[in-house]
Amino acid sequence: MIVAEEVTRVYRMGKVEVRALKGVSFTIADGEFVGITGASGSGKSTLLHILGLLDRPTSGRVLINGRNVQKLSDRQQTLFRLNRLGYVFQDYALIPELTAIENVIVTSLARGVSEKEYLKRGAEVLREVGLGDRINHRQSELSGGEQQRVAIARAIVNKPSILLADEPCANLDSETSKSILDLFKQLNEDLNQTIVMVSHEKWHERYFCRIIDLKDGLINSMRECDAGR
Amino acid sequence: MLENLRVASFLAFKQVQRGSKGTLILTIMIIALVFVNLVFLPSIISGVIETFNTQSINFNYGNLVIEPREGDQYISDADTLQKKVERIPGIVGTSPRISTGVTYFYKGRDARSTLYGINPQDERSVTTIHENMVRGEFLSAGDTDKIVMGATLAGTEGEAGGGLPTLQGVQVGDSVEVAFPNGERRTFQVKGIYETQSIGVDTSAFTTTGAVAQVLGLENQASEILVKTAVNGQEEMYRTRLLSYGIQQQVFTFRQKAAGFVDQAIQSFEIINAISTLVSLIIAVVVVFIVIFINTVNKRRQIGILKAIGIDKQIIINSYVLQVLFIATLGALVGIVLTSGVIYYLTINPLVFPGGPVFPVVEPATVARSIASLFAVSIVAGYIPAWKTAREDILDAIQR
Repeated sequence: MIVAEEVTRVYRMGKVEVRALKGVSFTIADGEFVGITGASGSGKSTLLHILGLLDRPTSGRVLINGRNVQKLSDRQQTLFRLNRLGYVFQDYALIPELTAIENVIVTSLARGVSEKEYLKRGAEVLREVGLGDRINHRQSELSGGEQQRVAIARAIVNKPSILLADEPCANLDSETSKSILDLFKQLNEDLNQTIVMVSHEKWHERYFCRIIDLKDGLINSMRECDAGR
Repeated sequence: MLENLRVASFLAFKQVQRGSKGTLILTIMIIALVFVNLVFLPSIISGVIETFNTQSINFNYGNLVIEPREGDQYISDADTLQKKVERIPGIVGTSPRISTGVTYFYKGRDARSTLYGINPQDERSVTTIHENMVRGEFLSAGDTDKIVMGATLAGTEGEAGGGLPTLQGVQVGDSVEVAFPNGERRTFQVKGIYETQSIGVDTSAFTTTGAVAQVLGLENQASEILVKTAVNGQEEMYRTRLLSYGIQQQVFTFRQKAAGFVDQAIQSFEIINAISTLVSLIIAVVVVFIVIFINTVNKRRQIGILKAIGIDKQIIINSYVLQVLFIATLGALVGIVLTSGVIYYLTINPLVFPGGPVFPVVEPATVARSIASLFAVSIVAGYIPAWKTAREDILDAIQR
């Protein structure tokens, strides 16, 4: 379960103070597929960064499975990201020097998984995202959709309990977007993964159990969707 | 810990494997040249010391020199002392010498230098001057009117000695007049000319003990007795042994005898070597630092991504340190190959110093020290930029 309590985030750019989040509170139950929506600058990505332990709130707190993750040291947060979270970036964020499978298995390697096991699991998860024949290709040899699938494979390879995705379909055509959202839905249903996904596409809403809509750093609305009923 | 090393090795290997080959080769070559520089100069210094030691033992002093007791000009009863010393275990030769300052006259030219009176057979047991005859022959017993002369003192017709004593063109068979300090003059026939490339020896001359003793009125006396030991390099031990056998005279090692000049030369060399080593290591630090700094700056986003997906900062730093270790290892290996080439060349074509040909001597300790310093500076120079970049905020790094 993810609990956000009065989370604020203030950036200081010289003398200017930007209040990206102004006190956001919500709870996300285990196994929910939640969409975070809102206009550009509403604080969606900032919120996801805080949930993904890539950033710390200025005030308020975030509890994941009852644990105040802001109190973790940098090293503990790194370990938490490795073992509990999967994160899909909007721009894929692959390591260009690594092949598809190497990008996928690098976190398994860090978790101490045996070589035989991580190679098997890496190939398996790439097959699941439809890249079974592209495992030894590097980023420059993959299309945008394929790169995003590699990024997703990397995020799910260790079967994290929480998957966070920051506009994963932003750079993809609608057909590829649909296949990726179908994959998310399947993961959510098959593995009971909690998925929090930032999106600004109206048609994505049919995949979400619930939508948290942000406006100017505050929750504008929170509503259940068809998938959640 | 092992997992961390495994990930760091994986990342380092992939970066080396798929990074810029040109930069990699250039860096390895620079490290290799730094290694050559770290090893080369000390090997020349060792070569100079080796040459000096060999020359000192073979031409000037033997391993040890026995001199008169303080206040005495000569060792008296030299025969007895010589026999006593020869009975000491480990002593393989002795050569009593009478040395005196003289003036040589030849075809209206004169030169002031030293004349040694020796027993040719004894001298052969200690020095190797007899093996360095360039013209004529070495002395034999009974050659009371013969002299062998150093090549510099004999000189070449029309060539001044550049400050060194020279008679400018003495040939074998020529007669040379010698004026002794007591005013006596004797004429010697030149039996041979030797060349050792040791300045002190090549500007001197040798005749038999009998000839000098007769002129100076000495009997069974010597200015010094040179001693040859069975093994070189253990002179202190042999000196102690001689003293323990009751030798009353002063006993010096060849190093003590030649200390002033050589010590100064070695000190100067070592200052040059220290500066050269420091400059080389600074170059290594700067090069590795720049390479890793540019590498990490260019990979700032990747480092951010790795941290974002849960790779520990220390693993990322270690991956760069491993790359540096790889570069330093290859650099040292290439350096060893290059150094071997240079050493091989200089062994065939030795450098010629005033003291003679100098062959580079590579000491294992120097190689080990060079490798260790190269690794130490490389690790420091690789660690700092990697550490600086890896501690950057994740979002700042990713969003760059």
